[in-house]
Amino acid sequence: MKITIDGIFCEAEKGEMLLQIARRNNIYIPTLCHSDALPGLGTCRLCVVEILDRGRKGVVASCIYPVKNEIEVFTHSDKIKSIRRNLLMLLYARTPQDETIDSLRKEYHVPDNIRFSGDKDEHCILCGLCVRACQELGTSAISTVNRGITKKVSTPYDEPSTQCIGCGSCAYLCPTNAIKIEEINGVRTIWNKEFRLVRCTRCGKPFATKEQLEYNRKKLGEDHVELLCESCKKAVTGEKLRDIYERV
Amino acid sequence: MNRTVYVCCGTGCLANNSLDVYRELKRLIEEHEVDADVKTIVKATGCNGLCEKGPLVKIEPDNICYSKVKASDVKEIVEKTLINGQIVNRLLIFDTAQGKKVISHKDTDFYKSQQKIALRNIGEIDPANIDDYIERGGYEALSKVLFQMTPEGVISEIEKSGLRGRGGGGFPTGRKWRQCCNVNYFPKYVICNGDEGDPGAFMDRSILEGDPNTVIEGMIICAYSIKSHRGFIYIRDEYSLALKNMDCALRQARERGYLGKNIMNSGFDFDIEIVRGGGAFVCGESTALMQSIEGNVGEPRAKYIHSVEKGLWGQPTVLNNVETWANVPEIIMKGSDWFSSIGTENSKGTKVFSLVGKVKNTGLVEIPMGTTLRELVFKIGGGIIGDKKFKAVQSGGPSGGCIPESLMDLPVDFDTLKNIGSMMGSGGMIVMDERTCMVDVARYYLNFLSEESCGKCVACREGIKRMLEILTDICNGKGSEEDLDLLESLCHTVEEASLCGLGKTAPNPVLTTLKYFKDEYYAHIRDKRCPAGVCPELTEYEIDEKLCISCGLCAKNCPASAIWGEKGKPYYINTESCVKCGNCLDSCKFNAVGVKKGARL
Repeated sequence: MKITIDGIFCEAEKGEMLLQIARRNNIYIPTLCHSDALPGLGTCRLCVVEILDRGRKGVVASCIYPVKNEIEVFTHSDKIKSIRRNLLMLLYARTPQDETIDSLRKEYHVPDNIRFSGDKDEHCILCGLCVRACQELGTSAISTVNRGITKKVSTPYDEPSTQCIGCGSCAYLCPTNAIKIEEINGVRTIWNKEFRLVRCTRCGKPFATKEQLEYNRKKLGEDHVELLCESCKKAVTGEKLRDIYERV
Repeated sequence: MNRTVYVCCGTGCLANNSLDVYRELKRLIEEHEVDADVKTIVKATGCNGLCEKGPLVKIEPDNICYSKVKASDVKEIVEKTLINGQIVNRLLIFDTAQGKKVISHKDTDFYKSQQKIALRNIGEIDPANIDDYIERGGYEALSKVLFQMTPEGVISEIEKSGLRGRGGGGFPTGRKWRQCCNVNYFPKYVICNGDEGDPGAFMDRSILEGDPNTVIEGMIICAYSIKSHRGFIYIRDEYSLALKNMDCALRQARERGYLGKNIMNSGFDFDIEIVRGGGAFVCGESTALMQSIEGNVGEPRAKYIHSVEKGLWGQPTVLNNVETWANVPEIIMKGSDWFSSIGTENSKGTKVFSLVGKVKNTGLVEIPMGTTLRELVFKIGGGIIGDKKFKAVQSGGPSGGCIPESLMDLPVDFDTLKNIGSMMGSGGMIVMDERTCMVDVARYYLNFLSEESCGKCVACREGIKRMLEILTDICNGKGSEEDLDLLESLCHTVEEASLCGLGKTAPNPVLTTLKYFKDEYYAHIRDKRCPAGVCPELTEYEIDEKLCISCGLCAKNCPASAIWGEKGKPYYINTESCVKCGNCLDSCKFNAVGVKKGARL
């Protein structure tokens, strides 16, 4: 079916998420809690757009809105801009020193002298991407704790988690780099837990935690996985391909 | 002929020791072997609604109702009324409207204007005894449905009745069932939402406690119509009596063959289990409730795909509120025409309201849709306590709006309340008098919501937090006029951009107070004065020398010993040590204590 986004006709499949359709057609919608690798969360609300569906107007979160009818979509109407400005003001108030939020704030012309103040050290916007990533890629070692204005992301009872495999998926996906991950002398520290890193058998660089490799091995059911870092893996695959071609 | 003594054992009456009354009645009746020809049965019932006057004891068929009964009154009741047929005058209900005592509760204004459908059995039956329910026509609707009606027939009957969800949204119940019925994958689930969390609302609790079988029957009827075989009743854990009575009712229904395999030998299977809520307000939101049943954190999801398609465990699910379920058997028995003849054009039937706050007759009332707010507050509710001036009524729980005096003649129904910025919600009605500060009310509700928001989405979590910050500042005399524009702008963002109903309706208390009571905001901001004398930072009390008769009552009630005076001379308040509790103002019978006018700071 066909929908229009900001006046542009876009081909869409029934049930496809609005954000996905917009991105495919190079129409910009800002997001924070979205990752192409995971199902939409709809928590940051920045991706809200206005829709006109059979004569009825509404505001929806485009990352989780499945297209059902041939609708008209407006990604930057006055109403949407005003909502995004307020949302960014709220996020800026929460994380006054965060670079990602600050650049979005500038993009939407939110002044920096707002009425509210927040914790200078706060970077987390509680979008929940880390929790979802841990659920899907890791071991559900972290979750959101408490509710309302006291909500936070943490391990059970803020103790070093027995479940965490130190894979760092949470930190990798975090839009504001709010999750501290440190690697010093072959030891990775994340969520108050230390992990000794395994060295790459090819280049000797420490690259993954023992727990992570063990978890992957169990999940994939492979016994003899070569312990290679990301770049060596690429290099080795390249070499193998070259060999094949040379022989051909 | 038998005589039955009903002792109200709803939560309010239980708290006033009605269980002692019940035990004492049983003991004394056995002891006296009251009237050998007339067998007297004592029954503990659910809530009668007039909680203000409890514990209530009703004697039938004599049609006598005693109020505020204590265990020590029982002897007199037994000896005078049960043995000698006399009335104990001092225990009768005093009806303020008529200005006299009445023998039967049915003669009071509180009960006269009511029409009971959802509450039809409550107070008339022992909830722990399924036979009481059956005696009053219980499970006849189920029998009718199973043996005389098709699933399609059931759905169209509910559709025609015009019944709308009593939990807040007001979605047409029949349409919900039909949508779920049309989805062609199984299993399907039926859920009862008993996670009543609105401050001051207790209608669902009353039904679960006082007539659990009607909820069960309603759910089985729906299950039959959508071909579901498993249901859940989600009850908040704080409702211990509701949990106990529901558990008992489910057990008895199973024993009698109304639940489980092959219900009433019809070949239809359906069973229900209880799920206990963990105490989060947001779990009353349908999608969060389903998350909670699944064992996840109770966070709502967007409803772009409805629960009737993908609900509990991703399966088609019908979820209705307790009161909605309680209406179903009666609609089946009496027909959709009867039901749709009650109420207004788009809101059919009755609605149960919990009338609380500064009103004389607090309690639970069931009235036809379309009754005016004025009738509800002033006739049924008996007006304002102490005959103070009425200020507003807040409907629909923490996310409802505050309705001013000027709109009191509007009929109560789903659409009217929505149009004036409030909502039906689950039916809480909190009455406020002139001693209520509307800015403080908005602040109070936002404080509640800031703690009870699940915190999942930015708009609700951060928006409410900052709106609360502004309101707190205004209450403390630190607000500015620009704050009001920002507040309103934030309201619209939270309303539009929040993920679920909690956030979308959270700004209602702020928006309605801004709309109808803006002068109070200005008084706080411009004059640094709280006209109602509630916000401590902006309040100063004074005693009018001309009106003070130096009775000393204010000084006696002052917890801070801040009031001084002597016989024959007017009393005075020491502002330095005053803690602004307002006891003096509330206790003065001569209106001598008032809130100081004019700017304070």
